[in-house]
Amino acid sequence: MKFPYCSHSHSHPDPHAPALEIKGLGVSYLSEGKFALKDFDISIKAGSAMALVGPNGAGKSTLFKAICGLLPVRCGTIRVFGFPLGACHNRVVFLPQRSEIDWQFPLSVLDFVTMGRYVYLGWFFPCTKKDINIARDALKEMNVLDLAHRQISQLSGGQQQRVLIARALTQNADLLLLDEPLNAVDVTTRQTVGEVLQKIKAQGKTVIVATHYYDHEEGRYDGAIYLKDGKQISGTKDQQGPEDLGCDCP
Amino acid sequence: MIHYLTDPFQYLFIERAMIGAVVIGILCAALGTFIVLRRMAVVGHALTHSALPGLVVAFLMGGSLFAGALTATVLTAFGIGFLARDESVYEDTLVGMIPNVMFAFGILLISTTKSFRDLFSMLFGNILGITDGDLHLILLIAAVVLVALFLFYKELKLFSVDPNYAKTIGMPVNAIRYGLLLFLSLTVVVGIQAVGTVLTNALLVVPVASARLLTDRLGRMITLSCIFAVLSAVGGVYASYYLGTASGASIVMFCSLIFALAWVFKFVKSACLRKGS
Repeated sequence: MKFPYCSHSHSHPDPHAPALEIKGLGVSYLSEGKFALKDFDISIKAGSAMALVGPNGAGKSTLFKAICGLLPVRCGTIRVFGFPLGACHNRVVFLPQRSEIDWQFPLSVLDFVTMGRYVYLGWFFPCTKKDINIARDALKEMNVLDLAHRQISQLSGGQQQRVLIARALTQNADLLLLDEPLNAVDVTTRQTVGEVLQKIKAQGKTVIVATHYYDHEEGRYDGAIYLKDGKQISGTKDQQGPEDLGCDCP
Repeated sequence: MIHYLTDPFQYLFIERAMIGAVVIGILCAALGTFIVLRRMAVVGHALTHSALPGLVVAFLMGGSLFAGALTATVLTAFGIGFLARDESVYEDTLVGMIPNVMFAFGILLISTTKSFRDLFSMLFGNILGITDGDLHLILLIAAVVLVALFLFYKELKLFSVDPNYAKTIGMPVNAIRYGLLLFLSLTVVVGIQAVGTVLTNALLVVPVASARLLTDRLGRMITLSCIFAVLSAVGGVYASYYLGTASGASIVMFCSLIFALAWVFKFVKSACLRKGS
């Protein structure tokens, strides 16, 4: 017997539906009247890796937060694996920017990563040995298993990023939304993250990565979506490069 | 020597006070851990001050002080949560504003009663004066809140460290937030019995702050906070009995003494470690 957090949280994805289908999306923050994202349309097939490219304030995080249900949709529709928002929580994972997490909270790395299993546990049930083993495997995948018993407050920026990705892997989601995972991290972390993204893609999962560094990592993605000032910009990278968008690429 | 410890218990009111203070201490410390780690200590402070007008209105109308205080704190907690929900007014602004208005209103009402003894009791508590009925209510509320903390431990952890992730996996974060505020209101109301409206927040915060100095593990932090709260409660009641000091203030002074000792311990330990390396 289980008590899920949300009654629709365990719907299975429709294998024939796109991983993400958005039509006419408009999103605004509650405290602001104007749209932070407007007239956004996209269809991303399952198993692809896409880059979401744009300067700071372009609406990348806003888009991810709307897909995850963190921000209310003012107009348009979002369907994930053919389901409306909130119908398959366990299949979507959002990796926020590191600053959005309280890293001072007294918690070990293993405890933090095991939180990726909560969506399957629901109310009242604690983590089992199996859940802990899944979390350990994810830490191993990210080359940070030796940090399992360290407090999250003692992690460097690169380690924080790897631990966050390990939590996303622990959730075993089919659609991963990564918000600037390569921002301000060391070379080792960048390499590890790149390798893991390739593995995730090889497993048939869909990945969308918000990034400033598309120029340097174009080969990793099947395509790019460009955003500027909350609006989608059409065209390929050749027509509309990051420089035109005002990205602060290195 | 042992009779110094046992003598006070010849009086039933001391027995009640000791049980009440210990239970309130454990309740405040356990819930206080999440309140402090969620950085909601200031909300606890706000609620303690907001209880005053409810207490005074209940006193003037001859009703239950508990019900009066609970109504005022719950209204304040939910009022702050409601007004801050769309961030049109910052939560810290509301927390700084509403309780002061409520406290001023309470003082205004008290000034009409011309009874400053009642004012003293409401502001600083009187654990030695609790009745059997009060004690049963304290035990009931403590049982409800502590069982809830146990049942929702993992949800409270996630809600505290990464509320956005909690929301993305379908956790009803608003319900958890309001639940936490409700538990805080209940805890504040029973805390007022022990140390009054002015000092209740100290019971929520100081034992946790002391534990935070000594450990960075959540489970140990909750355990240590509870131990410190129990020591403070017992010490405070004994001090009040033998020295004739105000019970609430004595309990809070013991909490502060433990904090000072914990700080010195941490300072010395850090210095030794630096020297060793």
